Amino acid sequence: MGLSSAFETLKVSLFNRYSHDPGKILVHTGVLGWILSSLAQVSAVVFNNKISPDQKSFLIPQEIADATVNILSFFLVTSSFTALGKKLVSTGKLRTPHIDKFLRSHGLFEKSAQNPNVVGDFKFNIEKLPIYADENLKKDYKNFKNGVGVITGTVGSILSCNIITPILRNNIAAHQQKEILARKQQMTTPQLRAPKGISIQQYQNMAYRQHSGALKV
Amino acid sequence: MTSVLSINSIKNWTVYKTVSDHAQKIEQKLFDTIPDSMLTKKKTLDNIDWIGKKITSPENRLILGVTALASQPFIDLNNKKVDKETRKVSVARTVAKILAGTLTGVLIRRGCIKWVDAMSKVAKEGEKLPKYKQFFTPTRLINEIKDADKFEQYKNVLGTVVALGVMLFTNFLIDAPLTKYLTNLFVDKANQHQKEGGK
Repeated sequence: MGLSSAFETLKVSLFNRYSHDPGKILVHTGVLGWILSSLAQVSAVVFNNKISPDQKSFLIPQEIADATVNILSFFLVTSSFTALGKKLVSTGKLRTPHIDKFLRSHGLFEKSAQNPNVVGDFKFNIEKLPIYADENLKKDYKNFKNGVGVITGTVGSILSCNIITPILRNNIAAHQQKEILARKQQMTTPQLRAPKGISIQQYQNMAYRQHSGALKV
Repeated sequence: MTSVLSINSIKNWTVYKTVSDHAQKIEQKLFDTIPDSMLTKKKTLDNIDWIGKKITSPENRLILGVTALASQPFIDLNNKKVDKETRKVSVARTVAKILAGTLTGVLIRRGCIKWVDAMSKVAKEGEKLPKYKQFFTPTRLINEIKDADKFEQYKNVLGTVVALGVMLFTNFLIDAPLTKYLTNLFVDKANQHQKEGGK
């Protein structure tokens, strides 16, 4: 496949996949943005000559952990919110007067043998109804669903990027900082050493035998 | 085929059916807690319609940046797990990161979408356009791109993808140095403010 043909395929694929669903675009490009920006943060540490290999061995996993939290939290929360918004519209739980009129005129609010799933049921889906073929309903419904998807997706991304991630990141960073300080402290504190020729366990046993008799309980 | 058959046979198990029924009931009960509503105000409906069509990645990035400024520094400021000095630097770095990231993120996304738009032209009947003006036009989908809304969304997506590629470089060339500069500036200001007797 030539380069120009591959580029054309990419354009067609982007058009088919995203042109009808702006909510999905925001989630996917958001995730891609997070991945790229995290890659930049990790590479900034990897290629920084001023950072020693010892420090790198801590900083690289830290950056990767930070990136994983960011990406996972963004993807899970934002895509869940977007999906919930769309689900509310597709089940008719959230609707416009125009959609409501359509659904009522087809008796889709009352359960019957023909309609085991009605408006508001989790399994109900306007897009799978025969009336969805009506172009008038389709346009109104799609615009409404896209708008709701973008709004809920934006709320989800605000929640994940600006509230959940900073709180998680601060907790992880504080925990890691504590560990480093403890490690430093351990390195500066002189450790108990056994005299040459015997193990620390043997030394401790000997010390116990020597002094335990003087213990007063 | 074997795997499909085995999945189907699993679906017929009584245990599977019982668990699945219960899961669906729970799903429905949770869904029922969300009130049923019909939006009747014309202005609200127009706004939702407008948001679906006009809020693209630059606007989304701007919204995220503004709300980040309103929340993240306060989260860092109240992080009692680190000492006061670390907190100060952390707030300065967070604000600097948000400002630098939002500024470059919004401008680059907007610029790339404009660039893609300028090079995604469709020739009218009898019109001959230079090839570069159709560089981003999906010429194989000449009928589909007649839907103006879909074509607009396509240009937004492609512009955002191009912007992400550009940001691979600007993250190093602009974001990182700008964040460092702004962090130092804010830390210096905070220190000066402290020296002058402020809290």
